[in-house]
Amino acid sequence: MRKRHQKLKDPLLKALIRALDENRVTDGASARRIYSKDGSVMEGGRAGIICFPEDTSEVAACVSIAKEFDREFVTRGAGTGLAGGSVPCNDPIMIVTTRMNKIIDVDLKKRIAWVQPGVVNLDLSNSLKGTGLHFAPDPSSQQACTIGGNVANNSGGPHCLAYGVTNSHVAALEVVLPDASIAQLGTIEGEAGGYDLRGVFVGGEGTLGVATLIAVRLTEDPPEIATLLLDFSKITDAAETVSQIIANGVLPAALELMDRNVVAAVEPFAKAGYPLDAEAVLIAEVDGLPEGVSHEVNIISEIAKNNGVREVRMAANEEERERIWKGRKSAFGAIAKIQPDYYLHDTVIPRGRLAEVIQKVYEIAEKYGLTVMNVFHAGDGNLHPLLVFDARLPGTLEKVQRAGEEIVQISLEVGGVLSGEHGIGLEKQRFMSQQFSERDLEAQDALRRSFDPENRSNPHKVLPTGSSCGEMSSLNEIPEGVWI
Amino acid sequence: MKEDLLLLDPEALNACVSCGLCLPHCPTYRVTGDERMSPRGRIALMRSVGTNEFDPTAEWIHSMDTCVQCRGCETACPSSVPFGDLIGDTKKALSGIRKLPLAVRGGLFILDKPLLLAGVTFFIGSLQKLGFLRNSSYIPADVPLFRRGIKTDHSSDDPVLFTGCVMEAWTPWVHSAAIKTLNFFGVNVSLSGKKVGCCGALHEHSGLRSVSERIAEKVVEGIPGKGPILVNSAGCGAMMKEYGKLLKTDKAKKFSERVFDVHEWIAKNHELPDKIEKKEHLVVQDPCHLRHAQKSHQFVREVLSPFAELIELPDEGLCCGAGGAFSVSQKQLSTEIRGLKSKALVEAMGEGEKLRVVSANPGCVTHLQAEGFEIKHPLEVVAEYVTEMNGTNEMNKFDE
Repeated sequence: MRKRHQKLKDPLLKALIRALDENRVTDGASARRIYSKDGSVMEGGRAGIICFPEDTSEVAACVSIAKEFDREFVTRGAGTGLAGGSVPCNDPIMIVTTRMNKIIDVDLKKRIAWVQPGVVNLDLSNSLKGTGLHFAPDPSSQQACTIGGNVANNSGGPHCLAYGVTNSHVAALEVVLPDASIAQLGTIEGEAGGYDLRGVFVGGEGTLGVATLIAVRLTEDPPEIATLLLDFSKITDAAETVSQIIANGVLPAALELMDRNVVAAVEPFAKAGYPLDAEAVLIAEVDGLPEGVSHEVNIISEIAKNNGVREVRMAANEEERERIWKGRKSAFGAIAKIQPDYYLHDTVIPRGRLAEVIQKVYEIAEKYGLTVMNVFHAGDGNLHPLLVFDARLPGTLEKVQRAGEEIVQISLEVGGVLSGEHGIGLEKQRFMSQQFSERDLEAQDALRRSFDPENRSNPHKVLPTGSSCGEMSSLNEIPEGVWI
Repeated sequence: MKEDLLLLDPEALNACVSCGLCLPHCPTYRVTGDERMSPRGRIALMRSVGTNEFDPTAEWIHSMDTCVQCRGCETACPSSVPFGDLIGDTKKALSGIRKLPLAVRGGLFILDKPLLLAGVTFFIGSLQKLGFLRNSSYIPADVPLFRRGIKTDHSSDDPVLFTGCVMEAWTPWVHSAAIKTLNFFGVNVSLSGKKVGCCGALHEHSGLRSVSERIAEKVVEGIPGKGPILVNSAGCGAMMKEYGKLLKTDKAKKFSERVFDVHEWIAKNHELPDKIEKKEHLVVQDPCHLRHAQKSHQFVREVLSPFAELIELPDEGLCCGAGGAFSVSQKQLSTEIRGLKSKALVEAMGEGEKLRVVSANPGCVTHLQAEGFEIKHPLEVVAEYVTEMNGTNEMNKFDE
């Protein structure tokens, strides 16, 4: 009881409990530990009080209390982010959206669904089964990640090659701005006049406010789908195939590349029948009207043959197709089969230079004596080189960090960009000044300040702040010799 | 805090890369949205206590106590984190620092005491006949008042049907159905009986490792021979298949190799009859310990397929919330999780008539029955059809 008495002495906690209820506000040590991390290797500060609001007005109440007590706040969905975007610095109020998980309204005629931000990406598409519609953005973490998180990171996914990333699929947003006011950005009835603030908000990584309702556009299911598994004995041949497919005017729904190490890690789990002896496996999916699909399958097969493909296999049925995708989408999670930790970048490079950059990525890893696993959205040149390691080995983290830096360097040198879809978060801020000039960064900061003049909403993220928050850590800090 | 608290396998903990793909497959995370009640969160907390970051507070213990141990996260995990082992060892460690709820302790005490169980059964049966205790989430309706001792003879290498504790006492008709089904395939089984009794699964899941080890030894000794041991409760089957791992003796390992789920054994060893013409639509609900622990759920489908048109649930085997003692110790969570399962069942049934549901674990059956579903053990349904096919309804030795 004494503890309880003390608890009530904290006016911030008291205010938040009054706004929500006792069961949905906590400052417990366990909660603060868990909500200090996301899916990345980034470590910042420690989560402060954690709140689980259930609707817009409760979010607004949390933000309003943050303002009243002059505290920072960080919004977090499922915590599957890979750049530390929801990792807290200092001890902010954590606004966790996982209980805001209702699909509010589905309008099949307008092809719009209003959803709360905590709706899990795949749950939305599953709930639409039988309607002939789905939500197109399909990040690999789609079975776990939330649509709010997709909005924050402007997430991609294998099928965004043809269908576009999250931004193309968000019609309107209801948001709580950092001053606790509620605004609607965009409309479901087409373009509104003036600046596209909706477009600014999507990809804002939680620095511009909290999306509390999202109107997503629904996409028609394609009448026909063909999924090809192409097996190469050289990864550069696979990369060359990718460039030529696009250069020939074919835009597949998805074009994904996995190297031998990735295949070895995921095949035992996914049982997709990936060839274990291939240097690279390319997944190409084309969809549309049957005639178009078979035409494109022919072109892709032809190009692959010219580039020395060993085998082109087409998924015979939906189950096989699902297995092929399950493997691809489990790749990051399967890494522990090889090493206990991973660190990855998601730079985007010009497609025509894929073969050359991939080769350099392997060389960089070799130079540092590290294993690199490549699994990426080849079609749009979005690399995901995973450096896998055991952080318990002394000196490994430093090597990983240096190798990562070199991979970013080489990507930027060939005219690429820092992040395709994972966001900048805490992890990549320090590279921002390599991609942008000081004036660029100032302009971006001005935009941010127009939403959040007090720098309260997910501060210390995206733009370089000079603060020391955010370091790479081992996910598995187990000092030697502890009794665990 | 004691120095030797968790004693978890560091490699098992290290196998988690914190990707979060387990989250949606965890029933307690699904209903709470709180990562303290998720596999990834629980692993983070195990690590924290392990690294001395902090002591196990009431909040920490609650995170562990609320795990249903359905192992749905194991199926979802691309890195194959052995979460069942981690939480099992954690619960074992907890048994030394906190007391289980009285109702759980009482229940577990009774399970492996046949005489006491018979007394309690009589008491419960009487209450039910007087109109009390209906519609419970953990006690089936129509518990028989008492049962005569069943004949047991397992000296030969014939298959043995494991009869367990409450299943034999409270829902003996499931064993009758299993025997009828096995007889249909020309198989004579002997029964493990009251002397062998309980398998210790619920004790193990509650962290009472020394009790579960003692019970496991008793069961291993009690069913000698080389014949297969057939189990029709998914929870017991999963436990007995892991006796080898639990006791770490050759004898126990050999015993575990003899254990099969009844459906699994029939599907692997017998030719199924031709499909009957007019088939009913049947919804299949997979017990977690069949799907995620034993990974033998497909055999239920195989055995049922000649008799029924099977309908799958849209929830990828999410737990129903029964979880053995979980429905007693975590009543509210258990009921909330059942709500999700009810929704999935209703969705699967569609708009037509109400369909029968099958589930190969007594706990799930009772838990879902309380929600008003007509739910049977799959072998009860099979027995109905094979009886019809044989044109007889003879008693078997379990009914004598």
